[in-house]
Amino acid sequence: MTSAKRLAIVTVVLICCGAAAGYYATAMALQGRWLANGANVLVLTLTAVLAVLMILLVWRQMHRAMDRLAEQLDTMSRTGQIGLVMAGEGDQLPDVVRPLNRFLTRCQGQIEQLRVANRELQIQSRIADAEKHQVEAIIYSISEAVLVTNRFDELMLANEAAERLLGFTLAGAVRQNIEQVLSDTALVRLIRDTRSHGRRSRKVVEHSLEYAGETRTFNVTLSCIATGLDEIGGVVAVLHDVTREKEIAKMKTDFVSNVSHELRTPLASIKAYVEMLIDGEAEDDRTRMEFLEVIAGESDRLGRMIDNILNIARIESGVVKVVREPLSLTAVVKEAAEVVAPQARAKTLRLTERIAPVLGQVEADRDMIYQAVLNLLSNAIKYTPEGGTITIATELDERRGVASCSVRDTGVGIPPEDLPHIFDKFFRVRSNNRMAKGTGLGLSLVKQIVETVHGGRLLVTSEPGRGSTFTIELPICHS
Amino acid sequence: MQDRTIVIADDEAHIRHVLSMKLQNAGFRVLMATDGEEALELCLHEPPALLITDYQMPVLSGIELCRRLRDDPRTQQVPCLMLTARGFDLVGDQADRTGIVAVMSKPFSPREVLEKVNAILSACTTEQGQS
Repeated sequence: MTSAKRLAIVTVVLICCGAAAGYYATAMALQGRWLANGANVLVLTLTAVLAVLMILLVWRQMHRAMDRLAEQLDTMSRTGQIGLVMAGEGDQLPDVVRPLNRFLTRCQGQIEQLRVANRELQIQSRIADAEKHQVEAIIYSISEAVLVTNRFDELMLANEAAERLLGFTLAGAVRQNIEQVLSDTALVRLIRDTRSHGRRSRKVVEHSLEYAGETRTFNVTLSCIATGLDEIGGVVAVLHDVTREKEIAKMKTDFVSNVSHELRTPLASIKAYVEMLIDGEAEDDRTRMEFLEVIAGESDRLGRMIDNILNIARIESGVVKVVREPLSLTAVVKEAAEVVAPQARAKTLRLTERIAPVLGQVEADRDMIYQAVLNLLSNAIKYTPEGGTITIATELDERRGVASCSVRDTGVGIPPEDLPHIFDKFFRVRSNNRMAKGTGLGLSLVKQIVETVHGGRLLVTSEPGRGSTFTIELPICHS
Repeated sequence: MQDRTIVIADDEAHIRHVLSMKLQNAGFRVLMATDGEEALELCLHEPPALLITDYQMPVLSGIELCRRLRDDPRTQQVPCLMLTARGFDLVGDQADRTGIVAVMSKPFSPREVLEKVNAILSACTTEQGQS
């Protein structure tokens, strides 16, 4: 029993005793005993004083217990830590403290559970954040343009390549409908169709886009992001630029087509003339000899063409064997000039030389440089009308560190629009086609020899009707 | 139309030469052109019985030459035989629009060309006889 209860019982007993004494004194007084009257007052007063004292004591104890309770609850609220409420010895509030502690224990358990759940959620959120950043980093580092949309066709993510290609900034376009972000309606339709069809499989569509003033071809890979069994969370579109690949594929096809065309032409002559000989269509020895000469000439042409093609292919693929040695460019040029002199004479062309001594200042493959100079001289003879002049010159420019060999003619020249293409394989100036036969490989080979193999430069200047100048520049070896 | 006249258009001199010799030996009269434009002038001036043309030629390509001949009332009946070193097939209504009746690829056999020429001309003669 608590002391408060004990005090309350004592108070009740006192009041009862006081009331009994009062009753007795009142009864005595009524019988005329004055002494009893005084005792009555005394008993009542004593009882009242004791009762008040008891009440004060009870109140004080209750107040202290309440204060302790309040203080503990206050500490809990301040520290945020829930514990049990401690009742002091003889505290008057066990009936309050016990259920309160039960309640507090339960709260504490629930708070602990929530704290654990919260910690798990925080960890999961951090993992999700890290994964998101990882995905973003991957997407941003991809050189292909990547777009990610949600199921409302709103833009969620895009990398820099996509921003550049499609002309928007992600910061201003996030959560906006792709219709408002992308000006390319066909691409918008592709993304929307992919989302609405909701297929899980990927599809790749070829798509053309205008970028930096030119039309580029892209392989657009579209995949749906599946979130549930049949739910589509959005679409990922990856745009892979295949313009260059297509160009290379076309160049390969063109090359094969051109090679086969160029090889078939002399072969056609050979086959036709052989058949004519077999069929006895040549009536006399002179005609027969003429046919055989055509066959021999066209066979040589075919052989030269195959050599040129193979040389170019070997240089391009880097498998050609290069023998570098100190080279007398002067000697090479003189030799090539001697070889073409009869052809020049036959066309009444004047072949002049302005040769400065270049003796061993360049290191180069003799046979290749000879071939390059010979090709330039042959071209000059082919495209210079009778009576013209061809000048071959060598020069040493120590200041620029180059030795050069130039071939200038007074021929038909090259139209300005054709100049950028004259070193392309199989390219021939259409307007000069009638002047001479050619494969369109000679200048391409010269360029490969000079620039790819020797790290030099091949330059050309030309004026239609006045002539052309081709210059080979080779770096001087300083060792 | 000259019944035995054939125009040969090719920028390769040897091809022109060998074809003309084969056809002349077979009794044809042969006119030669080194490019499409020259061939067009020849044909318009004197419509031949047949045109043998290369596909790839300077100035005017073989296919363009045939189209121009088809468009001109003087030469629209002239059949064309195309010789080509490139893979080439007549597609769609190209035969109707160009008057190309046969395509032979290079290298070719002059013997087979002559056979084809005879076949084309006899087919044309039969058609004309029927009409």
